[in-house]
Parts: sequence; structure tokens; C-alpha cells
Amino acid sequence: MKPQSLRTDDCAGVIKFYSNMVYRLAFARTGTKYDADEIFQEVFLRYIRKQPVFENEGHRKAWFIKVTVNCSKKLWGSAWKRKIVPLEETVLFETKEDIDLYNELQQLPAKYREVIHLFYYEDMSTEEIAEVLERKNSTVRTQLTRARALLKNILKEDYDV
Amino acid sequence: MFKERYCRMNAQIHPSDQLLQNILNSARDSDCTKRIKPLRFKRPAAALIALCICLTMAMPVLAANVEPIYQLMYQVSPSVAQFFMPVQKSSESNGIKMEVVSAYIHDDTAEIYVTMQDLTGNRIDSTTDLNDSYSINRSFGGSASCQRVGYDKKTNTATFLISITEWGNQKITGDKITFSVKQFISDKKSYADIKIPIDLSLVDTDKSTKSVDSTGGSGKNYEKYIVDGKTTALTPSQAMDGFPVDGIELTGIGYIDGKLHIQTAAYDNLDKDNHGYFYLKDADGNRVDLDYDFHFLNQFQQPGRIDYYECVFDIPQEQLGKYALYGNFVTSGMHTEGNWRVTFPLEQAE
Repeated sequence: MKPQSLRTDDCAGVIKFYSNMVYRLAFARTGTKYDADEIFQEVFLRYIRKQPVFENEGHRKAWFIKVTVNCSKKLWGSAWKRKIVPLEETVLFETKEDIDLYNELQQLPAKYREVIHLFYYEDMSTEEIAEVLERKNSTVRTQLTRARALLKNILKEDYDV
Repeated sequence: MFKERYCRMNAQIHPSDQLLQNILNSARDSDCTKRIKPLRFKRPAAALIALCICLTMAMPVLAANVEPIYQLMYQVSPSVAQFFMPVQKSSESNGIKMEVVSAYIHDDTAEIYVTMQDLTGNRIDSTTDLNDSYSINRSFGGSASCQRVGYDKKTNTATFLISITEWGNQKITGDKITFSVKQFISDKKSYADIKIPIDLSLVDTDKSTKSVDSTGGSGKNYEKYIVDGKTTALTPSQAMDGFPVDGIELTGIGYIDGKLHIQTAAYDNLDKDNHGYFYLKDADGNRVDLDYDFHFLNQFQQPGRIDYYECVFDIPQEQLGKYALYGNFVTSGMHTEGNWRVTFPLEQAE
């Protein structure tokens, strides 16, 4: 069960609570720790700067998801990012199975990875994902279906997705 | 199966301690509960210099003639005050007038000055807070913040600056915004760094605990100890005499599974939002912050609702006697309801 009420003036508490969610979504979308670090900082600095007020905790969560996705897009769209060659990054997952899964996920387009992440990890419905990403519900469902299909193809239907 | 494997993979991904600490330090340095939104200068330097010269020359004349709200605007946002377009639309309810005085829409940001004036009493004061009680209907998605920027005791008027930023750095589009307020709180009292008169060396393992459904919380170990929304809390007891915060009661302190739990209760708190938190300090002033905290309720509906808050510290029982209990709290003594609503046109500044 996710918390429904964090004190709006407990800035540190909010940051600690949403730190993993923001970082994991950023990582899911970008696939590297370096980019996730950058996005993580940008998202929380925006939060600190703006101190937005939310009607409820669901809105706060939606804000963090939205801003994380936007910052990821902005990072990938930047001239700097387009012109650099990424370093090989060693991701320290515990098992070969996890490493394989990570590698297969990297084959998916970023927009599919974010939908997969929100659906499977954040337990959000397609309606909730559509609302927070400002996409049509049918678009989200299609992206989820295509992502599943791609995963099945890539993983030779190893996974019951 | 995929879900389990995906979650297991993600559980290994987290920000480094250093990264998290850097952000927490930034939050602490910015004093984010009181911070005024920084101004952003996007215009070319030449335009900025010209603007500064214009303002320098114009300020004495303006200052002598403009109304208090405009003086306030120049104090809060001197470099952009002249860009604010007058709106001057008001709504009156329950003897209180809300007026949208002016607005400045530029790029992805809308900034709006709003005043609340009590025409019949003293329900508006220097602590009046709209924080969680206003709403903005607009045709774009974004985040909003509200800060009180002034209070005029003579006219019982508080002034607020609302800032809305559209998501995605997109230029704000649409033709109108509706700003509405249904309630606000005032007569707020802050208790900062207050010492709680309790001898911690007498705290013992608490025999009476209960399983509760957490309605929220925070802290580095929140997710570890709140499993599927459930956790173990102290069974609320009779309020401690002498707790120094009006509107909040201390209803329990004791050890559960080697961790110190401290519990408070606030009655019918939806109208007041009384809240706070504890920390420990030793004789040298070294501070120990909580490990995690959580909230739970006796029931959702008022009247009769009690909001419980429990702080949990990872401090060995044998060391506790070296510490004293401190806390920061905010309470409010007045809650006012009404129906204030103003719709005004949106116009991007040139």
C-alpha cells in the first residue's frame, strides 16, 4: 500500500520516499546509471525549487513520474547527448538472469520501457499511465501490447508476460 | 513471472547514498518551506539592463502612487512587476473577499497575485495559509505552488503569489484559468526546536502494541517496516500531561522490537492540519533523526477522527538516557470555509 499523505513541508521526507521510484523510472527509461543520476538530481532540484502543492499523494506521485519522464526526454533530446558516445557501463546485477533481462529490455524503445515499468513495477493501470503520461489509454494499451510482444520475441517466450 | 523478475531486477537499482545526501543537503540549504520562488531571467542581457534602468527611474514615482498590493509586487518581484497585467476580479463568500489582482503569463509559467480580505472579522491574519486548500482549473497540466507574500493588518488582507508551471517546458496555452478556494486555516502557531519534558531513561519496552494500516509516512526504512501497508504501532494510551503543544497529544512512547516509538494524536485534524515530528539531542547538541515514521487513523470520517503519527528511532535502549526529546510542530487554531471562485482570461505577456 502506498502512502496517501506525506507532510507537504517535510521536504526531506518526500525526497527520501520518492527517491527509489524516481531513480528506477529514470533508469528504466535511460538504461544507464549515469543518466539516471543526472535525471534524479534534476527532478528533485525542480521539486526543491518549485515546492509544488498537490491535492493528494496520488497527484504528487504523478508529478514525480511526469517530471522524471520529461527530464529523460529532455536529456535524450539535448545536443550534448546526441553528440556523445556513451561509455560502456557495467551494471552490477546479482544474477545472469537479471543481466539478460536488463539487456533484453534495452532493445525496447524508451517509450515502451517506461510503460512496462509503470505497469509492472509501479502497479499502475493503463488508465493511470495514460493520465500521467498524457497519452490516450488506447495508445498506452497498444504500447504495452507491443512491448510484451517484443519481449516474447526477444526472450523466446521465456516469460509469462 | 515476468513481474517478479522485473521487480527483483529493479530492487537492485537505487540512487547512491552520496547522490541522495547531496539532494537532501540541497533541500536543507534551500529551506524549502519558506523559500521564495527564484526569478528567472531569460531575456537577453541588453534587455535586462534596459529594464533595470527603466525600473530605477520609474520606482520613485511608482512607489509614491501605487496601492499597497503594487508596492508589494515590486518588493516581491521587482524585475517583473511591471509585466503583471491587472485582473481585479473578486468573489465574496462568508464575509471574506478574494480578489485576483494581477497575473503574468510568460512561457511555461503563470504567476498570479491573489488577496484574501476579511470584511467582517479577523479570520485573516499573518499566518493564513492556502497551501492545501486552493485549486486551479486550467486547460494544461502542471504544478503549482502558493506562498503568502504579505499581510496588511489594517485591512485584514493577506496577499498570495501563486505560481503555475506547465509540464514539459511548453508555452502555456488556453484562454482562461479558474482559481478557487473552499477553505483556509489561520491562527497558526509554530513550535520550533521545542524540548519535550519527558525523562527518556524511564522509557521501557512497550507491552501493548497493535497492528495498524499506515496511511503514509517517510524515512529510509519506511518501506522495510511497512509491509503491504501494515505495521506495528503502540496502542494509544491516555495523553501525557504537560505536552507543550496545544492541539497535539503525546499518546505513547516505548520500545517495539528494539526501536523507539513515539506516538502523537490530533483530533478532527482535517480542518487544522496540526503536525510535527520529533528528534533526539544529546548533551553536546548532536542530533539523531528518526529512522522512519508513519500515520494511521482510528476512522476516516470526522467527527471523531483521530490522526495518529508515530516516529521510530533506531537508538539502543541502553543509550537512550543520554538523550533529550525535541520536536518541531505547527498547529492552527482557526478553520474558515467558503466558496471563493474567480475565472479570468489568460494572456501571454509580449
